[in-house]
Amino acid sequence: MKRWWWVIPAGAVAALLLVVLYRAFGTDPRAVPFQLKGQTAPDFEMKVINGEGAMTLESLRGRPVVMNFWASWCGPCAIEHPILEWGARSMGHRVQFVGVVFEDTEANARAWLARHGASFPHLLDERGQVAVDFGASGVPETYFISADGTIVDKHVGPISQMDLVHRVDQLTGG
Amino acid sequence: MSLGHLGYALVLVGVAAATFGAVVGLVGGLRRRPATLRWALGATYAFAGAMLAANLVMEVGLLTDDFSIRYVAQVGSIQTPTVYKIVSLWSALEGSILFWGLVLGGYLAAFAWLHRKEDPLYMSVALGVMLSVATFFAFLIAGPANPFEVLPNPPSNGPGPNPLLQNHVLMIVHPPMLYLGYVGMTVPFGVALAGLIKGEIRTSWMGPLRRWTLTAWIFLTIGIVLGGWWAYAVLGWGGYWAWDPVENASFLPWLTATAFIHSTMVQERKRMLKLWTLSLALASFVLTILGTFMTRSGVFNSVHSFTQSDIGPTFLVFIGILLVACISLLAFRGPLLVAEDHIKAPLSRETSILVNNLVFAALTFVVLVGTLHPLIAESLFDKRVSVGAPYFNRLTLPFWVAMLFLMGVGPMLPWGRADGSRFRNQFLVPAGAALLTVGVCVAFGLRGGYALSVFGLAAFVTVITLRELVLPVRARMRDKQESFFKALSGSASRSQRRFGGYIVHLGIVLIAVAVAASSAFVSHTTATLRVGESFELQGHQMTFEGLVRGQEPHREYVAARLQLTPRGGDGQRLLAPRMNYYESSTDPVGTPAVHDTVREDLYVSLLAFDGKSQIASFNAWTFPLVSWIWWSLPILAFGTLIAVWPVRRRKPGKAGTKADGEGGKPEVAPADAPSPTAEQGAA
Repeated sequence: MKRWWWVIPAGAVAALLLVVLYRAFGTDPRAVPFQLKGQTAPDFEMKVINGEGAMTLESLRGRPVVMNFWASWCGPCAIEHPILEWGARSMGHRVQFVGVVFEDTEANARAWLARHGASFPHLLDERGQVAVDFGASGVPETYFISADGTIVDKHVGPISQMDLVHRVDQLTGG
Repeated sequence: MSLGHLGYALVLVGVAAATFGAVVGLVGGLRRRPATLRWALGATYAFAGAMLAANLVMEVGLLTDDFSIRYVAQVGSIQTPTVYKIVSLWSALEGSILFWGLVLGGYLAAFAWLHRKEDPLYMSVALGVMLSVATFFAFLIAGPANPFEVLPNPPSNGPGPNPLLQNHVLMIVHPPMLYLGYVGMTVPFGVALAGLIKGEIRTSWMGPLRRWTLTAWIFLTIGIVLGGWWAYAVLGWGGYWAWDPVENASFLPWLTATAFIHSTMVQERKRMLKLWTLSLALASFVLTILGTFMTRSGVFNSVHSFTQSDIGPTFLVFIGILLVACISLLAFRGPLLVAEDHIKAPLSRETSILVNNLVFAALTFVVLVGTLHPLIAESLFDKRVSVGAPYFNRLTLPFWVAMLFLMGVGPMLPWGRADGSRFRNQFLVPAGAALLTVGVCVAFGLRGGYALSVFGLAAFVTVITLRELVLPVRARMRDKQESFFKALSGSASRSQRRFGGYIVHLGIVLIAVAVAASSAFVSHTTATLRVGESFELQGHQMTFEGLVRGQEPHREYVAARLQLTPRGGDGQRLLAPRMNYYESSTDPVGTPAVHDTVREDLYVSLLAFDGKSQIASFNAWTFPLVSWIWWSLPILAFGTLIAVWPVRRRKPGKAGTKADGEGGKPEVAPADAPSPTAEQGAA
């Protein structure tokens, strides 16, 4: 019997290990708590690259905003772009779509827009300050801002058509 | 029939062969039917053949851009350079599991071939166990991780492999080396489990068991070091080891395998620690599977877990089966493996190895607990915690220092019982060398307790190891009037294990010194510069000359031109840290510029830039001695090669443990005159 004493603790440790690993499924280790959720969106003033002058967030008060960070060097942004284009055309009367160019040059961004289409204003985040203010960590990332300027949610990575419709419905209460 | 269907058919052949062989091997071996070994051998070769063919089919698919195969559509692209097309076999989950199958097939076939003339019953059980493992992996390839699924509407092009994998040539070598290390643990596992199942492990098996483990060990070592090198050369955060869960996953089996290699000596010499030694072989394998689970299940946050998937549950079931099988076999059959001797003196080789094993076991425990702690905290206490490098550094450092000390003391001690006064005499010179080293370091202004103790102990170990290597050579030169080289090769072949082992020790000392120096005496600075401005680090002057854009087939890049005037002023050169942009990636991947010398590396990465105003930000480090880590690889590989090289058959009467060192200390000679076939059975 003397040789057996270790079996029970060893079995217990093994069982604990399996339980812990089993319970780890379904949790996303990368999920970062989104600090700005529910807060007032930081204001900005950025140059419009497919239009005239500059745009501020303040000037959009009263309309919900869908704000998409993208870059010309970002492959998934190109995949996502048609969905946003479609969204701006079909839901543009309910929400304002805004593109923000992230870590990119104006010339590259213009050329890219000429290829992929630009149905909504695209703004140049020259020093990356707006991306920092919003806590955007990469592209594409899409923020949903309510009519009173509160950040309701964000979507990381290319957004699907269904997701976009769902979020816009949430924003407009429709 | 498309390529995808052909590949899948081959995988099914593999499943059938592995299942058949596992059943036949286990049943035949346990029912004492020696004739069934033939079938188990055949099944092993069939499994290996099917895996080889399936991998070739996948390679053809990758090279011909056959996007009708799901895996090719997932990782392939027309623009990918050919060499990266070949290696994209292991750039994502499904392909790497398929590649795992190939490596497993190779190991099993080699084992079967080399040991085919061994005791048929034992071989049948061992092959049965290994083929059970093969069944699991073949099932994984056929089901949850099937790479050959045929797409009804194939895309015209794919995204290409993960950019991190395309960024450096080391990525071509690092994963296969790790797989060779991981998968290689299957063989010792099979041999050890067969020993438990049969309730006996013949001493003649200990040689092959050790050699197979050493083979896996050296691949694992190379894989781990190359992984560090890759991280250093690609990721641009200025480090080579971050205690990331997946790094730890490869480190855990390395620790137990290293402990195993040492404890087999005690088992062979003293017929002790049998159960412990076998447990280490089992643990090494279970930890490789746990490591693979960590990498592939997506439950850990890590730079490596880019291939998340739903194979996690399948792996978990396998881990459960393994744990139950190992623990119950150790409990029921373990008592049959009784020690035939016991430790007689506290000052002896066996005691030092026992302490070494305890240190390794404690380290394994510390690293395992640290790695799993975030999961434990979340699942049991619903808290999110992260365990970072400080925990691991603080807790493991004392063990490393202890290990270095043992690496010096162990080889000095004889088996059985040491003579205290002799030991003290032998101790004096190395201890003096250690003190001298520390004194010189202090005189040159170096401070820091751990780093200095590592340097001192490194001198201590080096002196002892060189003495242990040289003394037998000198004795031969004196007694047999041989030339130095003849005496050296004679001494090396006379006791390969000892000789090879000590060379490996020297390589480890090199790593220890490099790690201590590069982490304790690192310097770092950041700079944001306009064109023409410069900054300085540790006497190295760097001037920013502007940004360059460029294009390569699979990526675009922006490089910063930095004119470097190294410390001392001569040998100006251009550094070009850069950012690479891949079609498929949302984030740029940097490539740091490294100016490496024996003394230190100057390491610069491009942090951010603005093309319009030509402003760039840099991170720069100097790491003293860091490249010694990579240079230890040839030494480690050379030492291991000597240790595993098949021993020449000795004529009867010549084998034995004749004293061959000064003072009559016995060599670690082939202790138990293994059977000739077992001796040939080195990998």
